[in-house]
Amino acid sequence: MKSMINKKSQAALEFLTTYGWAFLVVGVTISALYYFGALDFSKYLPQNCVFPSQFKCADFSLTPGQVRIKLTNNIGEDVCVKAVSITNDANPPVSCSFGAQAQGICAASEFGWDHSADKEFVFSSCSGGAYIAGERAELKVTMVYYALNTPSKPQHTFNGKINGRITTS
Amino acid sequence: MAESQQAKGQSALEYILIVAITFVIIVPTTYLFYSYSRESGAELSDAQVTKIGRTIVDTSTSIFYSGVGSKTTVDVNIPDSIKGARIIDGKELVFNMTTTFGETDLVFFSSVNLTTTGTNCANNVCKIPELGNPGVNKVKIEAVSTESVSIVVI
Repeated sequence: MKSMINKKSQAALEFLTTYGWAFLVVGVTISALYYFGALDFSKYLPQNCVFPSQFKCADFSLTPGQVRIKLTNNIGEDVCVKAVSITNDANPPVSCSFGAQAQGICAASEFGWDHSADKEFVFSSCSGGAYIAGERAELKVTMVYYALNTPSKPQHTFNGKINGRITTS
Repeated sequence: MAESQQAKGQSALEYILIVAITFVIIVPTTYLFYSYSRESGAELSDAQVTKIGRTIVDTSTSIFYSGVGSKTTVDVNIPDSIKGARIIDGKELVFNMTTTFGETDLVFFSSVNLTTTGTNCANNVCKIPELGNPGVNKVKIEAVSTESVSIVVI
């Protein structure tokens, strides 16, 4: 009985020593593929921007240092936009500057947006956060606004996502 | 004996190749479909909430102009992503929605004054937490006065 157990242990050990090299090679290969991005399947996803239907995304473009998004105000009211920001999950995240121009009856640091109107948001000087030409980027856009005709002017937030390749031309 | 071992070796290699090719096809396909369905899920929730918001606001307007005492109920199917609803200034019906890329307010504007049961109202904000319960909910819409329409989940 004891000799049978010994034989089994020997067989198991021999199996591991023989195939250990094979496991090691497979492990190293998979690690290398992962390191060089071959296992990053997200690049095969279609490019798109997902925003709430109340601020529908009409178009977008990602170029080196610049992000442009065209949104439509479908909320049914004129609004004032207080803040717009862009970020991503990288550490540190992407950093862009947004220069809003005061417009209409909104406060100095805000800008107006009429209902049913398209507005193009241009973020410039984008850097960091793996925002590299030719690479794929997933960006999160956050906007804070309030409706002009609501007496207490409560602030609301909406978030959207852009997933696309940063084109060089 | 050597031939038999060779045959076994060949079948083992073929087996490994078939399993490897299957994995190469299944893993990326699963990832792509999962990612795509996640975004479609967010768009579906958005469309559902837009329909609910418009139904409530349009029905409230209709009930308001039908006169005091008019009432009706509407069935709404609340998606999981909705965390609650509130009425601000009697004018804005706001749904708080959670998506994979953050929290979003979906706002619906009413031309008539909206309210709910008094206990849920403080200052100019009336909360309707029951509108955050996923699934089918019955919403009672009633013209409680010449000035406002009450929205209550029953």
